[in-house]
Amino acid sequence: MAMDVVDYEIFGNEMQYVEVELDPGEAAIGEAGAMMLMEDGIQMDTIFGDGSAQQGGLFGKLLGAGKRLLTGESLFTTIFHNEGRNKSRVAFAAPYPGKIVPVDLTTVGGTLICQKDSFLCAARGVSLGIAFNRKLGTGLFGGEGFIMQKLEGDGMAFVHAGGTLAVRDLAPGEVLRVDTGCVVAFQPSVDFDIQYVGKLKSALFSGEGLFFATLRGPGRVWLQSLPLSRLANRIVMAAPAAGGQSRGEGSLLGGLLDGDNE
Amino acid sequence: MQARLFGPGLPAAGQACEWQTDSGRIQWAGGETRLPSTGGALRSAGFDLAGLELSWADDAGRWALQVLAAADATTLRATPPAGWEEAFAQLAGTTRRHRKGRALGWSALALFLAAPLLLLAGFFAFSDGIAGWIAQRVPQAQEEALGEASFRAMQASLKLRDEGEAARAVREIGSRLTQGSAYRYRFHVVEDKAINAFAMPGGIVVVHSGLINATRTPEELAGVLAHEVQHIELRHSLKGLIKQAGLSAVWALATGDVGGALAGEAAQRMMSLSFSRDAEREADNAGFEALLRAGIDPAGMPAFFDTLAKQAGSAPELLSTHPASEARRDALAGRLSSVTNRRFEPLPYRPWPPAP
Repeated sequence: MAMDVVDYEIFGNEMQYVEVELDPGEAAIGEAGAMMLMEDGIQMDTIFGDGSAQQGGLFGKLLGAGKRLLTGESLFTTIFHNEGRNKSRVAFAAPYPGKIVPVDLTTVGGTLICQKDSFLCAARGVSLGIAFNRKLGTGLFGGEGFIMQKLEGDGMAFVHAGGTLAVRDLAPGEVLRVDTGCVVAFQPSVDFDIQYVGKLKSALFSGEGLFFATLRGPGRVWLQSLPLSRLANRIVMAAPAAGGQSRGEGSLLGGLLDGDNE
Repeated sequence: MQARLFGPGLPAAGQACEWQTDSGRIQWAGGETRLPSTGGALRSAGFDLAGLELSWADDAGRWALQVLAAADATTLRATPPAGWEEAFAQLAGTTRRHRKGRALGWSALALFLAAPLLLLAGFFAFSDGIAGWIAQRVPQAQEEALGEASFRAMQASLKLRDEGEAARAVREIGSRLTQGSAYRYRFHVVEDKAINAFAMPGGIVVVHSGLINATRTPEELAGVLAHEVQHIELRHSLKGLIKQAGLSAVWALATGDVGGALAGEAAQRMMSLSFSRDAEREADNAGFEALLRAGIDPAGMPAFFDTLAKQAGSAPELLSTHPASEARRDALAGRLSSVTNRRFEPLPYRPWPPAP
C-alpha cells in the first residue's frame, strides 16, 4: 500500500495543533472539522469513506462508510493533497484541551486501537476501521462501548488525548486498571477488558463508576487524564443556567458585583 | 510466520519477528531466541481475540510471542508447536465454554429487552378478561359515584328536557325494562338532533330527542332503551374505562413514554373499537331478552336498525363505534323468528312520536 511519509510539528502546550508538511503529490486525511489552516497549493477534497487504497469499488466504499457510521463519525473524510510544486503545510487543531499524540504505526506493528472520537488526522493510506471486542462485559459496560476505532497502515497517525497524556509500556502479563473513560489508544497486543469494581460500597459511593478497564500487557497504552465527558460535566454543573455559582473567583459578594452574572 | 515478540531488552511496543514454528526459532534484525519446548501460558490475544499469545519466563524475565493474524492463529491451533499441545487443548476447552456462556448472556439480555413487549402482548391478548375481572370487583357505590360525576361534568353542555310526554314515555318504558335490577336507574331526555343515546356507569341513561323523533313506534324506542340498559347491567363502560387506563399504564411501562405516543393512542382506540363491537352485540342480545321478559314486542329492535340502516349517512355518531346496522338488524331478525309466542300487548303511547 502506498503510504505517504509526512513530516510534522506540534505547536502549543495544552491546546495544541499539529502542522503536517506535505511534499508535492502527498496527502493527508483529517477528521471532518479538524482542519485549522492550509497553505498555498493544498487542495481540499471530500471523499466518501476513508481514502485508503484497500476499498475498491462502490461496495467497498459503502462498507467503509458504514463502519464510520457505526463508530459515530461522519460518513465523509476530508483529504488534503499538495497540488503545488513546493512543500506546503496543513494544520489540524485539537478540539478540546489536551495533547496530540503522534503515533508511527510501523513501531506498533501496523495497527492501533483507539477510542472512537480521538482520531485527528493521518497520512493518506492509513485506513480507519472499526474493531469489535468480543467480550460481552466490554460491550455493555465499557464507557467507550465495545466498538473502537482501528487505524491500520504504516504511516503517521495523530490522535487526541484530553488533559495530560500518560504513555505506559506494559511488560508481558503486567496489569493496569484504568477508568473506562481514560483510555485513548493501545496496541492490539494489549488485552482490554472491563472489570466490576467488586465492592458495592465503592461502586455506589466512590464516584469512580461501577467498572474499571483492565489493560494487560504486553504493549504500549496511551491514557488521558481528562476525558471530554468529565470536563463537559463540570462545565454544565457550573453553568449559571444550570444553577451553578461563580464561587472561588475572588468576588467579595459572591458574584453580586460580577457584571457577567446580570 | 510473522509474529511480534515482547520481552526484556526489546522495544516496549514489541519487536516484529519471524518465527519458524517447526524448529521454534524466533529471529529478528539484531537477535534471535527460541520458543521453549517445555510449554508456557497461552491465551487469546488481540482486541477481537482472534489471535494467540504464547508467554513464558526465563532468567532474564517474561516473554510474550503474539500472532494476531486470524489465519496464522488458525494454522497454529491446528498444529500446536512442540511442547505446547496441552495448553492449546486447554484453551480450546475454555473457548468453547466461553462461547456457551456468551450465548447464554445474549439470550438473557434479549429476554430482558423483550420482556416489556411480551407484557404488552400478553395484556393485549387477555385485556378483556383482566378488565372484566377487575370490573366485577368494583363496588356498585363506586360505580354510581363515577357515573354521577361524569354526568355532572357533561350536564353543562346538555339541554335536559325531562318534562313532557316523550320524557314520561322514556321513564316508564325504562322502569319496565329495569324491574328487579340492583341499579337505581335514571332516564333523561336531551334536546339534540343527533340520533344517539348513551349509558353511564351506575344507571344513568340519556336519550337524544333526535332519536325519539327517528323512531316510528314506542317499541322501537323500547328496543334502544333495552340495549342501553344492558350496557349498564353488563358494566361495559366501566370495563372500557379500566381497559383504557390499564393500557395507558402498560404502554408507559413498556416504552417509557408517559404521554402516550401516537402508536399507543392508535392501539388504544383500536382496542376500544373492537371492545365496543363485542359489547354492542352482547348488549343487543341481552336487551332482546330483557324486552321479552318485560313483555314488550322485541320486533321494535330490528325495526329501528332497519330505520338506521336506511339513513346510515345521516347518523354517523351512533354508528361510528357500532357494528353495521344491517348486520345487527339481521342478527336480531334471526332471533325474532325463533320466538314462538309472538302475542305482545302494544305500548300505549300513541300517536308516536309524541311532541317533546
